[in-house]
Amino acid sequence: MAEQSDNPSAGLEDRPGAAPANGLIMDTFSYDDDIVRKFALATLVWGFVATLVGVIVALLLVMPEAAFGIEYLSFARLRPLHTNAAIFAFAGNAIFAAIYYSTQRLCKARMWSDTLSNIHFWGWQAIIVSAAVTLPLGITQSKEYAELEWPIDIAIAVIWLFVFGGNFLMTLVNRRERHMYVALWFYIATIITVAILHVFNNLVVPVGLFKSYPIYAGVQDAFMQWWYGHNAVAFFLTTPFLGLMYYFLPKAAERPVFSYKLSIIHFWSLVFIYIWAGPHHLHYTSIATWASSLGMVFSLMLWMPSWGGMINGLLTLRGAWHRVAVDPVLKFFVVGITFYGMSTFEGPMLSIKSVNALSHYTDWTIAHVHAGALGWNGFMTFGMLYWLLPRIFQTKLWSVQMATWHFWLGTIAILLYIVPIYIAGLTQGLMWRAFDDAGNLMYSDFMESVKVSIPMWWARLFAGVLYVGGIVLMGINYYMTWTTRPKTYVVPVYQAPRLSRYYDDGPAPQPKLQQGVLDIAKKMDVWGQAHWHRRWERLPIRFTVWVTVAVVAASLFEMIPVFLIRSNVPTIASVRPYTPLELFGRDIYVAEGCYNCHSQMIRSLYAETERYGEYSEPGEFIYDHPFQWGSRRIGPDLARQGGRNSHLWHLRHFQNPRQYSESSVMPIYAHLLERPINYNTVQPRVNAAYYLGAPYERELTEAAQMAKEQAAKIMDELVAQGDPQEEAALRKFSDSHVIALIAYLQRLGTDKNKVWEDEAATDAPTDAPTDAPPAAETPAAEEPATETPAAEEPATTPPGDAAPTTTDAAAANRTIHATAMEATS
Amino acid sequence: MSDASNTNLNPNEPPLTDHSYDGIQEYDNPMPGWWVWLFVGTVIFSGVYWLYFETGVEGRSIFDEYGRYQANIMTVKFGEIGELSADSATIAKYMRDPKWLAVGKATYNANCVSCHGIDGGGGIGPNLTDDNWKGVRHLDDIAKIIKNGAANGAMPAWGSRFNHPNVVVLTSAYVASLRGTKPANPKAPEGAVAEPWPAAEAGSQPDNSESTEPAPSATSDKVIAP
Repeated sequence: MAEQSDNPSAGLEDRPGAAPANGLIMDTFSYDDDIVRKFALATLVWGFVATLVGVIVALLLVMPEAAFGIEYLSFARLRPLHTNAAIFAFAGNAIFAAIYYSTQRLCKARMWSDTLSNIHFWGWQAIIVSAAVTLPLGITQSKEYAELEWPIDIAIAVIWLFVFGGNFLMTLVNRRERHMYVALWFYIATIITVAILHVFNNLVVPVGLFKSYPIYAGVQDAFMQWWYGHNAVAFFLTTPFLGLMYYFLPKAAERPVFSYKLSIIHFWSLVFIYIWAGPHHLHYTSIATWASSLGMVFSLMLWMPSWGGMINGLLTLRGAWHRVAVDPVLKFFVVGITFYGMSTFEGPMLSIKSVNALSHYTDWTIAHVHAGALGWNGFMTFGMLYWLLPRIFQTKLWSVQMATWHFWLGTIAILLYIVPIYIAGLTQGLMWRAFDDAGNLMYSDFMESVKVSIPMWWARLFAGVLYVGGIVLMGINYYMTWTTRPKTYVVPVYQAPRLSRYYDDGPAPQPKLQQGVLDIAKKMDVWGQAHWHRRWERLPIRFTVWVTVAVVAASLFEMIPVFLIRSNVPTIASVRPYTPLELFGRDIYVAEGCYNCHSQMIRSLYAETERYGEYSEPGEFIYDHPFQWGSRRIGPDLARQGGRNSHLWHLRHFQNPRQYSESSVMPIYAHLLERPINYNTVQPRVNAAYYLGAPYERELTEAAQMAKEQAAKIMDELVAQGDPQEEAALRKFSDSHVIALIAYLQRLGTDKNKVWEDEAATDAPTDAPTDAPPAAETPAAEEPATETPAAEEPATTPPGDAAPTTTDAAAANRTIHATAMEATS
Repeated sequence: MSDASNTNLNPNEPPLTDHSYDGIQEYDNPMPGWWVWLFVGTVIFSGVYWLYFETGVEGRSIFDEYGRYQANIMTVKFGEIGELSADSATIAKYMRDPKWLAVGKATYNANCVSCHGIDGGGGIGPNLTDDNWKGVRHLDDIAKIIKNGAANGAMPAWGSRFNHPNVVVLTSAYVASLRGTKPANPKAPEGAVAEPWPAAEAGSQPDNSESTEPAPSATSDKVIAP
């Protein structure tokens, strides 16, 4: 490894003209590397934990029995632990190590407050530990990468924005380097944007210390979640790592950065464009199409801004490629940046609606994010750590060779991971949409796509073990390097002049174009020389304000219409709020993390409606706090699950999913059958839902009683579906969690075409005669057999009654249907 | 602070800026041309895309596309047979036609296997391969059960879930065709022995007239018509 090549005193001579001795005050200072050592160790430890939990969930997916039926170990409870640990614990600690090391040196200033640095460190570790405890317990908001409940969210906001952000910003203010380097721009964007995303996606109404409902419902909640979710990738896993790259890569390569101008343009375009792209996670769903289109085009426009970072990284290595061959640090960086380039090409591609129609809900997404997480985030972190170890421990790296092994093991592991999972994803997508010549789904049994995926999932498990093995090698190297550290660390003392109040930016540049061009061209030329930006770089507060403006403006452009235009969420008259028992059951669904494997969103694609039923409409989700659309279908969609299976089937299925479907990979949920419903907790849930807009009446005072009544009714129905001899055995499960969950599942997707008994009873005598003639004029009446399901369903209701509740879309379906029949007969 | 203070001694090196941060320098290279033009290209494409799809011109939305696709596939699927009625004769006819059994099989695999097994051998629901049938005496009883459900909801009602009434008839035909096949793990017989399915169309006629009640679909049709 390279010896300590960065001579700190060199900084003083960098700008001979800028430091005349005329009255400038020289400051003496040192850097706080202790905090860097802490975060570096935390990165190693949590990197091991996050990837190990990844291996565990990969195992649980192919061998659900490996959880031994223990609820805390089920796939759906541990999968969020894996994602949160990878993002916030592993990547989080890595970027903190990077920021604390590089910011001090780029600012020629110690962190503003060592106390805040340490509160940040211990506070962040406490947050991670609380996540690791609460997630397996089923305490979750169920919004991906924002699962942690509200008390932890508050802690995150305080630690991130006030402790970390405040300390960082004050360090910038007290810097001794006039201009801020591009790495610092990316850190600023990270701190500001993550704080905004985190706060606004986590606005909730608490129901207790460990339970809350988001203030947004359905479509709007989905929009907010993916505004957050996508930009968590952007501003937690991309911008800070670009900052890391901009510092550690030129340091390790000892080469100048390829292009300052490219840094400026790709930084600002990245910050502004990223924010819009979130809705590409929601193509063909119930979100308004304009939002989905915006998400797509802004994702396409992100391609080059992202590649700007890749180019600046790879081209910085020009003249240093011979060193890549021998230096594992550069090897990690080269492959990391290459994976960044690959992922940021793939991302825009996946955002194209027609590609997304194939890829969404499949393992393709999983492969995509792992190329990014293992390749980009993982390898950039490893490269940084191997570069840091000899510096923070003031010794030599114990084994360069072992670091090289880690590199090769990790590279092979990533390839062995992503290739099978890409194959699995593509296979799933193609199987779900395959039709034979006669227009039938070729693989209509969902389990067929699971069966073919299982070998790929085993391969992934093997690859995961290799990747963890690489981290173990790094752990050994880390420990052995640490053991050779000096007894006491040398703390070098540096000197630099304090920044004077006044600074001359120099004369404004002249246009290089002189003759035969328009004035505007000259102005563009001057603008293109980026003198204005150079000025911003010495004004950290203004810079921060402009970043905030870019991010907030881009967010508001999308949010205001989503929240204010009513036509984005047309209401459906027959959609009513959940009953108290269903609400309780829904909270079980959320706590168990069912969304990790089951979507509740039938997209407007024919292969989906053929398989799952009518596509989902925005108005169906207005009481869904939080939304449960999901992002992956390891199991089938549940949007129209209501009425698909009997109560009894559900009960047996939770008891042992493999009883009726051998290759099912669903965990056993036997604990739901044992645990009694705590009826005392029903009323607060109902009250919170009412506060959020559910029009409850009797429920406001008698929620518990109503829940008990419904539970008894479901139990009676369930018993009636079974063998009479089984009755006593089934009654044992009265008032257990599974009854509430069944109540919820049987409600899913049924409201849209429902004719409620109370409405039918009151309306029938008066309205039926007047409604009948118009009903007879509908196309359905001309083609009697094509009558919609809505009118057929309630045998006791006069058909005329169905007309008022039939939505436009249903009518449109019917018309299309009738046209098709005419065309063919 | 002149911008082009080239401190490089090597003329082959690109110009450096005068920036230096903790020893890190920056070249004053221009942005690569292909990068700039691809960026501009994506911006132009985005504008064109937006104007094409999001300015309210009819026929371009994803829902229009969905409607066209559905109409087309319905034509492919049911164009040649039109509307089927759920009587025994019709079911008997289609249970012997492999082309149309495929429709029923696809529906069965999507919706029925979790209770009746992939090969009809039964699970929580009854075995569909033996001669004993719960609530089924005649062929058209299968269609009634699929449509309206049975056994207090143990068998859900499917009538309102399919996108075409033919699906119930053709699924009934597929289910009927399972009788006499050999599943891997047959469940014990439940219910009474059903009459043999009518052998041919001619034989099915009396069978149909035997059942005095018209099929439920016929009932609702009659209610709607006046």
